[in-house]
Amino acid sequence: MFKKIAAFELRYQLTSPVFWVAFGIFFLLTFGATVVPYIQIGSTGNVHVNSPYAIVQKLGVMSVFAIFILTAFVANVVVRDDETGYGPIVRATPVSKFDYLFGRFAGAFVAGMIAYLSVPLGILIGSFMPWLDPVKLGPFQPEVYLYAYFLVAMPTLLMMGAMFFALATVTRSMLATYVGVVAFLVLYFVLIGLFAKPQYDHIVGLLEPFGLGAVGEVTKYWTASDRNSMLPPIAGIVAYNRLIWFGASFAMLALAYFGFRFETKGAKRQRASRHDDAPAPRPAGPLPAPRFDSYATRVQSWKWSRFEMAQVFKSPAFFVLLALGLLNAGGSMWFADQFLDFTIFPVTRVMIDALRGAFTIIPLIIAIYYAGELVWRERDRRTHELFDSCPVPDWAFVVPKIAAIVLVLLSTYLVSVVAAVVIQTFKGYHDYQLSHYLLWYVVPETFIAIELAVLAVFVQALSPHKYVGWGIMGLYLVATLTLATMGFEDKLYLYGSTAYVPLSDMNGEGKFWISRDWFTLYWCSFALVLGVLAYALWRRGTETRLWPRIARLPRRLSGGAGALLAVALIIFAASGAYIFYNTHTLNEYNTSIGRDKFMADYEKTLLPFEKLPQPRIIGVTLNVAIYPHQTRVETVGSYAIQNRTSKPLSRMDVRWDPYLKMVSLDIAGVRKIKDYGAFHYVVYAFDKPMQPGETRTIRFKTLLEQKGFKNDNNTTRIVDNGTFVNNMEISPFIGMDRSALLNDPVKRRRYGLPSELRPAKLEDDRARANNYLRHDSDWVTSDIIVSTVADQTPIAPGYKISESVANDRRTVHFKSDSPIANFFSMQSAAYAVKRDKWHDVNLAVYYDPHHPYDVERMIAAMKASFDIYTKAFSPYQFHQARILEFPAYASFAQSFANTIPYGEGIGFIQNFGAIKNDPEKIDLVTYVTAHEIAHQWWAHQVVGADMQGMTMLSETFAQYSAMLVMEKLYGPEHVRKFLKYSLDHYLRARGSEEVEELPLERVEDQGYIHYDKGAVVMYRLKQAVGEEVVNRALRRLLAEYAFKPAPYPSSKDFIAILRQEAGPKYDALITDLFARITVYDLKADSASWKKRADGKFDVTLNVEAHKFYADGKGKETESPLNEDVDIGAFLAEPGKKGFDKSKILVFEQLKLKTGKQTLHLVTGRAPAFAGIDPYNEWIDRNSDDNLTSVSAPGG
Amino acid sequence: MLKIENLTHIYRGGVRAIDKVSLEIPRGMFGLLGPNGAGKSTLMRCIATLQTPTSGTIRFDDIDVIKEPEKLRRVLGYLPQDFGVYPRVSAYAMLDHMAVLKGITRPRERRDTVEALLQQTNLWSVRKKAIAGFSGGMRQRFGVAQALIGQPALLIVDEPTAGLDPEERNRFLNLLSEVGENVVVILSTHIVEDVSDLCQRMAIIADGRIVTTGVPSELTASLTGRIWRKIIAKTELEAYRQQYVVILTRLFGGKTLIHILSDEDPGNGFESVNPGLEDVYFTSLPKNRRAA
Repeated sequence: MFKKIAAFELRYQLTSPVFWVAFGIFFLLTFGATVVPYIQIGSTGNVHVNSPYAIVQKLGVMSVFAIFILTAFVANVVVRDDETGYGPIVRATPVSKFDYLFGRFAGAFVAGMIAYLSVPLGILIGSFMPWLDPVKLGPFQPEVYLYAYFLVAMPTLLMMGAMFFALATVTRSMLATYVGVVAFLVLYFVLIGLFAKPQYDHIVGLLEPFGLGAVGEVTKYWTASDRNSMLPPIAGIVAYNRLIWFGASFAMLALAYFGFRFETKGAKRQRASRHDDAPAPRPAGPLPAPRFDSYATRVQSWKWSRFEMAQVFKSPAFFVLLALGLLNAGGSMWFADQFLDFTIFPVTRVMIDALRGAFTIIPLIIAIYYAGELVWRERDRRTHELFDSCPVPDWAFVVPKIAAIVLVLLSTYLVSVVAAVVIQTFKGYHDYQLSHYLLWYVVPETFIAIELAVLAVFVQALSPHKYVGWGIMGLYLVATLTLATMGFEDKLYLYGSTAYVPLSDMNGEGKFWISRDWFTLYWCSFALVLGVLAYALWRRGTETRLWPRIARLPRRLSGGAGALLAVALIIFAASGAYIFYNTHTLNEYNTSIGRDKFMADYEKTLLPFEKLPQPRIIGVTLNVAIYPHQTRVETVGSYAIQNRTSKPLSRMDVRWDPYLKMVSLDIAGVRKIKDYGAFHYVVYAFDKPMQPGETRTIRFKTLLEQKGFKNDNNTTRIVDNGTFVNNMEISPFIGMDRSALLNDPVKRRRYGLPSELRPAKLEDDRARANNYLRHDSDWVTSDIIVSTVADQTPIAPGYKISESVANDRRTVHFKSDSPIANFFSMQSAAYAVKRDKWHDVNLAVYYDPHHPYDVERMIAAMKASFDIYTKAFSPYQFHQARILEFPAYASFAQSFANTIPYGEGIGFIQNFGAIKNDPEKIDLVTYVTAHEIAHQWWAHQVVGADMQGMTMLSETFAQYSAMLVMEKLYGPEHVRKFLKYSLDHYLRARGSEEVEELPLERVEDQGYIHYDKGAVVMYRLKQAVGEEVVNRALRRLLAEYAFKPAPYPSSKDFIAILRQEAGPKYDALITDLFARITVYDLKADSASWKKRADGKFDVTLNVEAHKFYADGKGKETESPLNEDVDIGAFLAEPGKKGFDKSKILVFEQLKLKTGKQTLHLVTGRAPAFAGIDPYNEWIDRNSDDNLTSVSAPGG
Repeated sequence: MLKIENLTHIYRGGVRAIDKVSLEIPRGMFGLLGPNGAGKSTLMRCIATLQTPTSGTIRFDDIDVIKEPEKLRRVLGYLPQDFGVYPRVSAYAMLDHMAVLKGITRPRERRDTVEALLQQTNLWSVRKKAIAGFSGGMRQRFGVAQALIGQPALLIVDEPTAGLDPEERNRFLNLLSEVGENVVVILSTHIVEDVSDLCQRMAIIADGRIVTTGVPSELTASLTGRIWRKIIAKTELEAYRQQYVVILTRLFGGKTLIHILSDEDPGNGFESVNPGLEDVYFTSLPKNRRAA
């Protein structure tokens, strides 16, 4: 019986349209994720699209989406009989409950699994497509598909199927089941978000139901090579996870079994009607006659709107959706101020960003869902004949429904604001800025939701059925997501799209709101057109066919409706024309694909000129007029250029940023030979060749501005308050270099470029002729005048010589007394200033008056940095240092000569009070300040040659320097926290390397190497050879290379010095740290102590150790280990609360070899913990197992 | 006076739901009798402006119903054959809402209307309960209450007694009969007694056509002396059908009672019987639709 029922069910499901639609959708999604380079699941960087890792990821990720389909299959099994009314008949047959329930479940589940075959099939077929980039393709490995399908997908789907089958069985409602699905997913994502921290990886891996967590935990440090060749072993956490959820599915099925009742659910019996004691009204006289006047129409509209709203507000689905949204947004807002390593204040801007990210999907769902409900309500409830025969004009049906949705959406957004304010209050932040919530969030978002709601109403008015309408809207949402990634980016045809408004406390909404509001007007007027058409096509009476309704459209449109339609069309056309003028005429319309193509052509045309000898810039004079309110920067400048080659130069190439307009370029004694047009590259020939050592001048006038607004990427550089431009944006280069070229190998191959654009090899000494900042300059003299509006402060590198205010413009003249790097920032904003002094150095922090929180800390960090760096390295070359806040459009800080622009979001709203009490957090403001001040040495005294290893000399040393500051201010414990994050980040990032992982000395501007690995390497080096040795080496590097032109130093030069300073004892270590990719695996298995006769304790520690060398693709080879390692025994666990120096019983170095071994220690007291490399100073693939608790004898 | 001329409606797929119907309906109760699927509801919906007929005209006094549906709706009360309700909405709230839509927008007038109608339809005591929990009869009375809002001049009630128990049906018909003589009331039904109990005039509709129209008493009188009855064994029925015009068969104490139409005494044990409206109804129906 069971088999027959299952077989019947399977046949039934296989013939249903849901099955084929599901199969098609999932096939296309996976096929797309395999063949479309923009959509990558599990195959970033060097990982193949059909690698084991990518296949497992794809099947895992798709199984999340598959819940919806699977639920349709398995829930349908129980709900179907009730919906069709066939239930009593079926249940009256002598089928056993077990056979009935599980036979059907089995059939439906198998149908679901067959539908899910579309996913591996999509990858398989996709991987044979001829246009695929062969570099991204690996061999066909059938066992991987089996692994992913049966081990990853099947237990998950069984679990999900069983869970929602149980829910459907208990609730007997499709809607309730789907609400359950949504609730489950929201909860899932919230929990995943909450536990997205390294210390939770293991528990997430064990319990995450899709198996993605388990696979993620096992593979998190896998390199591209691992990912291309290996499957996570079916053991350990993966096996446990799958077993746990496999078991849970049976628990769910049992729940379904016991929750299922064969009896049909009877209609709820009303209690015997309570008779009402209210006095009966007067006997009926003649009833009042109806009146049809404007008052009546108004009342009718309003009453109906209220009625419709009440229907929404009273429906359980609304509260479920709202609760889901608040849960999701609440989680997001609760953690909006929490970063992995630091905490900020929950300022309103941050809360709005969190709401925009996590909440706004809910109103969109509400808009689509209730548009269907409201349009079809009368028909669904079979009251349409009652209402449709009422003397109400047709529009009075449509308008109240739309009005009801609008008000529902508005209240939904308002509720989310209340949630945000509650969270802010709870966190002790009281500057609510309610007007910002309203104007930056509620109003614009509500318009977007309204546009969607009207579209949904219109679609529903056309659709033959509510579900068809919903389906169309679902497809629409998917389409809007995909179109934008495929090069269809013009907001003039993407319905309801609007300009993104980046928020900043400094600059508010800037001018970004202007384009947003134009697009809002444009699409709202179009929504009005749709609304009028929805009215004109409204179903009234029993005519539901489309054509007769279209036929009566002209009659309905005569009069007011037609006039409204005309007005809406005129506004639509007029605003569209204005937008077109702005986005296509005033500004050039371009897509991201277009921009990539441009850069590819740029490189093909110009890169061949890279090596041509050119004169160098030796002096820069700039007069920069910033017009923050006109979004314009006018620059008049000149370069002193010199032939620093040994031969005469007959040619000079001038190049400037593609966005920059060159107003005039004035070079004496040259002829223009070729002009590359839009590439902004001009080749000149000198009338008289420029002799070695000869100096000449070029003068230029440039204009950087944005007129009106663009389709996207409106400038964030020149803004009303917080302009921040650098000289590369506003003044020309000489000759070609590699800045701003395409990096992504996939894109490069797509546009016919060699897949890698690599810097010169470390061995290539010719590359030492250039520093990595720019090839056309060494150190330059500078003379900069910056002017701006009178109520703002203009700033540029250099010492202020004069300041004047005239004609509402403030002009300040800056001059440097010694040559600096040819890389300047020009800023302008309304600043408050905090000044201080370190010896004879003037310190200043220019900040937004709303953000005083961290200014003192920055000053303190600057002082501490100067204290340490001047002693450890060399004197500070300037007598001023300034930090300047810039708006939160970017999150970084950057060091120019004595001038440090510092992002609002990372530096000025740090909540130090919260960090102080949180053992996991570090004081990032101090850290970043120390790092940037260190760049005054590492980049502004010594700058690396433009070759492999270049950023080691700046970023890695800045990391090292900042660690010295942190160690002094906060102690080594604080630095170790930071190192743990750095190590984790380094190990994770290796796997998504797109080109090749390189040893530190050959780093090619790879952040995870020069920052994260760099910090770990430098700290281990310092611990091994001693801080003074490292500092001595750094001092010698400065002494040899500071402020000198070519040849520039390379990482090799530093390492050579270091080897001399450290002595041959450390040669092997230095090679491992700098010249190789070295990875360890250290583990403390167990430990025990034994009391000795003399009252001391013998501690036995069983450990295991391995050492590997990896190649650039992540292939690792084990190498014999024979090194001294720290070993310690403690009363408390290092890195945890309650640990301090007094808890260290013994800390010494012992020789460590490959494999399992036993180490011995003697302590004065019984230890609680012991381990190797207890402070995680080595690059250890699993840094969490270095410690073990120590057991008592016999215990 | 409601005047229907040559009204035809063809559904998608070519089904002629009503076919060249012409009717004149004066003030007072008018019964439209017909079996299921005869086109009653389509006709009712056409009159109630819910369905635009394929061709033909409907006039109510000086309103052209098809061209100016909004004018007719102002004087229309309509109780559909089948209507649903909203969950969680009470009788009072729903009636109040309907009153607004019917143009009773002044709060005081609306309260008077709603209260009077709840009283009149005997729903006062349950006015605060959700209609979703009402019995069939209560729900139909609510339907009449909403149809009576705003002094309709044309009241259409479509199959109102289907599914009601005898007591509820009685109460409902009483309520309907109270509605003034001054308005046009069209009662569509497939139950002969509804018409015979209540209507001054009637029409019989079958397969989309009006087959008979007139005053019930006159129609029955026209059959006097032509209806004969006999009780026969069930097995004999087929033979009698061959031989006579059997218009009505009914089980009667385990045997079968048949009525036949014959201008002369058919003999053979048949006895004459006083014709009822039922005989008129079944005589009018085409052969294939005569009931068992």
